[in-house]
Amino acid sequence: MVRAVPAWLRVGAWVFVALTALFLLAPLVVVVGVSVSESQFIAFPPDGLSLRWYREVLQSDRYLASAWISLRVALAVTVTACLIGGAAAIAIHRRTLPFSEAMATFFLSPLVLPTIIYAIGMLMLWSALFGPVSILTLWLGHTAITLPFVVRTTLAVLSESDPFLEEAAKTMGANRLQRLWLVVLPQCLPGLLAGGFFAFNISFDEAVLSLFLRRPDMTTLPVQIYGQLEFSPDPSVAAVSSIMIALTVFLIIVIDRMLGIQKFASN
Amino acid sequence: MTIKTSLTKTSLTKTSLALAGTAALLATTAAANAQSITINSFGGSYEEAHRECIIDPFEQETGATVQIVTAYSADAFAQLRAQKDAPQFDVIHFSGGQEIVGAQEGLLSPIDESQLSNAADLYDFAKTNLEAGEGPAYSIAALGLVYNSETAPKAPTKWADLLDEAYEDHIVVTDISNGYGMLSFLMLNRVMGGDLDNIQPGLDAVTQLLDNGAVVVNTSPEIQQEFAQNDAWIASYASDYAFTLRKAGLPAVFVQGEEGTPASFITANLVAGRDNQELALKFIDMSISKSAQECFANALRYTPTNSTVELSEEVAADVIYGPEAVAGLLRFDPITIEEKRSEWVDQWNRTIAR
Amino acid sequence: MTDRTENLVLVLPGLLLLALAFFVPIARMLVLSVEGEAGLTLTHFERFLSDPFYLSVLWRTVRLSLIITLICAAIGFPMAYIMAHVGPRLRLWLIVLVILPLMTSVVIRTFGWMVLLGRSGLIPEILRDLGLAERNFAIMRTEAAIVIGMVQVLLPFMTLSILGVITRIDRRLEEAARTMGCSFLGTLRTVVLPLAMPGIVAGSLLVFTLSASSFVTPNLLGGSRIQVLAASIYRSVTQTLDWPFAAAQAVILFAGVLLILIPYAQLTRRADG
Repeated sequence: MVRAVPAWLRVGAWVFVALTALFLLAPLVVVVGVSVSESQFIAFPPDGLSLRWYREVLQSDRYLASAWISLRVALAVTVTACLIGGAAAIAIHRRTLPFSEAMATFFLSPLVLPTIIYAIGMLMLWSALFGPVSILTLWLGHTAITLPFVVRTTLAVLSESDPFLEEAAKTMGANRLQRLWLVVLPQCLPGLLAGGFFAFNISFDEAVLSLFLRRPDMTTLPVQIYGQLEFSPDPSVAAVSSIMIALTVFLIIVIDRMLGIQKFASN
Repeated sequence: MTIKTSLTKTSLTKTSLALAGTAALLATTAAANAQSITINSFGGSYEEAHRECIIDPFEQETGATVQIVTAYSADAFAQLRAQKDAPQFDVIHFSGGQEIVGAQEGLLSPIDESQLSNAADLYDFAKTNLEAGEGPAYSIAALGLVYNSETAPKAPTKWADLLDEAYEDHIVVTDISNGYGMLSFLMLNRVMGGDLDNIQPGLDAVTQLLDNGAVVVNTSPEIQQEFAQNDAWIASYASDYAFTLRKAGLPAVFVQGEEGTPASFITANLVAGRDNQELALKFIDMSISKSAQECFANALRYTPTNSTVELSEEVAADVIYGPEAVAGLLRFDPITIEEKRSEWVDQWNRTIAR
Repeated sequence: MTDRTENLVLVLPGLLLLALAFFVPIARMLVLSVEGEAGLTLTHFERFLSDPFYLSVLWRTVRLSLIITLICAAIGFPMAYIMAHVGPRLRLWLIVLVILPLMTSVVIRTFGWMVLLGRSGLIPEILRDLGLAERNFAIMRTEAAIVIGMVQVLLPFMTLSILGVITRIDRRLEEAARTMGCSFLGTLRTVVLPLAMPGIVAGSLLVFTLSASSFVTPNLLGGSRIQVLAASIYRSVTQTLDWPFAAAQAVILFAGVLLILIPYAQLTRRADG
């Protein structure tokens, strides 16, 4: 065995984690605090204690309907971004195509411009070519801006993978699809998972494209929150956020119980 | 061999399942109702009042449905301009003077006064440029001073009080990218001796305020936060928002400055290039009706533009109301504002930049 | 089918999507920046580049993005390393911790910071009580507020990018270095850090570009007195309605970011695999 990690470093590591946790969670604690406030306006520390804003949110058709739309768009975007982005990352990583470097940079470009520019351009173009926008427009738009995340994370993971595995599979007679499915895909899985997670979150929380590329009868959750804020900034928006936080934690516990953490987190 | 094929099959099936699932997620039923119009509203309690006062009665009367999109004036205008080739709104509401640019760019349809049965009851200033495409004003937000009656050391009476040192650094200045902020600034500029050709006095006053520690905010929710959370004492803003603050439980009081009360018009505009213009015109007509405006004033304390409106004493106390009072409202020439907006914003940015 | 065809088939959907659904619409907007009443014009670029105010906005954007990226890397690397070396259950909760900020709507999350950093906020109050700050001290509406708010939401991109790579590092390499007498920190520096480079590069590319192009958080936390370029673009689009100038600013932002990213990507090309 090697020398143990010095004790001061272990302590230091825990202090570091604790401080980071404090930094990351403090604003969220405020949000949860605001959500249980009794008062009409957003204030912290909360004024009284009540669950009225939760009741309000859960009974509000508009919040529920918009959450449902956001969820569907985000899921669809995650699937397509992972398929398209994952495939592109694999191809770029193999470096048999010319301009692989350039392509890697190319796939990053949607991140560089503020979404407002893209939203306006997309709306102008779509209206001129296809008429009124639809949910398809939003889906395309979200897929385009989430693609970089999937490509980047997958590329990063692939760069650490063993290049000889695929070669070995080839020698053993595996065909192209099998090599892709059985060898390459498992190798990129952690990157795809991370990229897919980002894609989902970005699509779910994206307000600008959703604001401009929406059909009148489709409002996503972030747009609904934004709309609520201007004229009636009440704690219901904080309640929505708290519910989302709780759902995330809950989902992870369920996955833990049903599948076992190892399968989900250790790769 | 068999293993190979079945593997290939599995992977293909899984991919196609994923794609089919995606398609299902996006499947929607298009609401292709001919008897339907799309409008924008401003969200929250404004939208509730809008629904109660105009939209519900309209739907009952015509049997048509109204599709509401929550979009503030600036966002709604950007959307309207970008989708020029295929507009989605039938009636679009603006509170920041966007109708002037919209009319110039041909995004809005001209309205003939005879098409609106209630137009005759409107004050003249509310229907100045219908034939150019600028829709009628259906309510007015009055700008004045909003102060915290519990913490402010004294009640302000005039615009010049903003510079009173008694308020120390508890002053909130609204950025001129905000429509109300623009009018407040122009008023301050006027009080300090400037005019639309010379905004330097106003900029100097703002510099002085900032040197005293005033904060600059962009949006209405931020104003609320400054009052609720950060001990703001005074701000120049609109009467409707003061009422919103009060409804939310804050001790906010609205006073008109002695030097005058600038008015911000909320207009209902007819969008060009839509099939449903007749129905849309009916909606606009409804917006300027006596009953709708009474309802709006009761719900949110907006000043009506229909001369026949009658308000209860309680409401009238909060609202600038009646021909004389309304005639006293100040309107900065909206066309000049639009012409100079870019230049002013540049100068403003420079002045407030740290 | 050759290898080349296979790879072409794989990369084509992505290229097409980006070209048709991203670049064409962007071009539609950006072309406004050079469209004048009489043919092509560069006046909008001149206006930006000859104005110290806008140049300072550009400089601030770049400077803050660099600071945010550095801080994210400084927190993200040790965090990812710790995550990789603890048990799976704890690792999962650490991941949850890092990504939770992403799960709250940006506006409401920013509100949390406004409460903590504002004039009557918790943190300035504590600093005042400790006698470290003046009466009207606030962190809200300063560059520090922008950095704090952005680091919180961009940290997951950095941490998870590094984590994806660090978990694949062969643990035996570290052990080997340690048996050979290398100290813990030495191993970290000479073995883990170089191997984690692809993750750090990927993460910093994401963080840098995202901080240069986001405007909601900087706008709310920095306020209008401290503008960044993306927020200025948003204002030109929706408030002053000067779309050509907005497009010109976007082109400049795009060029500025590329100017920094391309050399960076070149420098780290080998590490980037």
